[in-house]
Amino acid sequence: MSNRDFEILETKERVIEDNDKVAAEVRSSMKSKGIFFVNLMSSPGAGKTTTLVRTIKALKDEYRIGVMEADVDSDVDAKTVADAGAKVIQLHTGGSCHMDADMTKRGLEGLGLDDLDIVFLENVGNLVCPAEFDVGQNKEVVILSVPEGDDKPLKYPLMFKVADILLVNKFDTRAVFDFSINKLCDSLNFANPALKVIPISAKTGDGFDEWISWLKRQAALAKEADK
Amino acid sequence: MKVIELNASVTESNDRDADQIRKEMKEKGTLLVNLMSSPGSGKTTLLSRVITDLKNRLNIAVMEADIASDVDAVKIENLGATSIQAHTDGMCHMDAGMTKRALDSMGYEGKDLIFLENVGNLICPAEFDTGAGLKIMILSVPEGDDKPLKYPLMFDQSDALVITKMDTLDYFDFNLDKCAERATRINPNIQIFPLSAKTGAGMSVFENYLIDQVGLWKD
Repeated sequence: MSNRDFEILETKERVIEDNDKVAAEVRSSMKSKGIFFVNLMSSPGAGKTTTLVRTIKALKDEYRIGVMEADVDSDVDAKTVADAGAKVIQLHTGGSCHMDADMTKRGLEGLGLDDLDIVFLENVGNLVCPAEFDVGQNKEVVILSVPEGDDKPLKYPLMFKVADILLVNKFDTRAVFDFSINKLCDSLNFANPALKVIPISAKTGDGFDEWISWLKRQAALAKEADK
Repeated sequence: MKVIELNASVTESNDRDADQIRKEMKEKGTLLVNLMSSPGSGKTTLLSRVITDLKNRLNIAVMEADIASDVDAVKIENLGATSIQAHTDGMCHMDAGMTKRALDSMGYEGKDLIFLENVGNLICPAEFDTGAGLKIMILSVPEGDDKPLKYPLMFDQSDALVITKMDTLDYFDFNLDKCAERATRINPNIQIFPLSAKTGAGMSVFENYLIDQVGLWKD
């Protein structure tokens, strides 16, 4: 100990530690129920909701799907997603730029988990803050859209570092934008060289076969894990 | 029992620093613009065009704020404008203190117009006054016309809304009228500039606005 007569409180570390404890609780509770839980993150307007709608339609005959829509405000996405055939709850973060584990826990309680196989958290549109907070998910899925540019991993490295899989959405518009998948992979070398990248178009459905079979594999693993 | 509102005090002390910056910039006749948007909506491309078009009329500098990397500052420097790269080291926005340090280390003597290119984020930057005399936000067509509904504070705080990538309208379900209506419902005074920094369409209207704003600031 030093000769200080006062305590130094590292508040940010403490916040993250507390969050990690609750995230671990969420994770173990989801595991015991055999539910596959995805934290879906991206910039505003990269296509989280459009991707979810197409994903729900592809999975809903085989799986019971729940979605938590996190937004600063508004409920425009919740209705779209409910219409696609998922059980939905809208979460308002009240100005906060990300979901944390405690908000997620309360969201899951509100959603109700007894009749679900897969749960998606559609996080607040933001490439910065959501990357810092573990919400107790099995996998972190990040969407980058073609119009945003192939240099984003250089600028928001943490988001690409925590990602388990990267969907490159709006791939049908790549001719319109100066977007190179090779350049994207080069910029990923810095953050997460082993990251699995799937180019998709939530509008046309291109790339969804690979994305959906990845999801199915993960859901099967989650089911086995509870046994 | 004593209750300390930590968040309120952070904002209050930030506001004091921001007012100080604004006062100093006013005395020097330098307009500081806080430029905000989502990642990848085209802040740097817009700035590159503005610098190229206006560099003979205005003395322009750019402060690039990023969590990491210096790709943007290099681009701006190549255009011949003074620039500095500020690393927020994980922080999702610039505050007044960080802005002051960036201004001081860049130097701003004789500048007419300084852009602070904030971290790409539609949420946190809207909450922090950086001491800017003008706040401009960008929304790009591919992001969608529903964004004012989801990120109202950003639209509420901005003096001007630049809608970029207008040349890609055919590829996306973006309704300009709907977007404008949603933005003005939140902020009736917001000035809207649809343009394409790639083709140059609509740029001159926006650039004249900037020239006018610099003139007003110096008066």
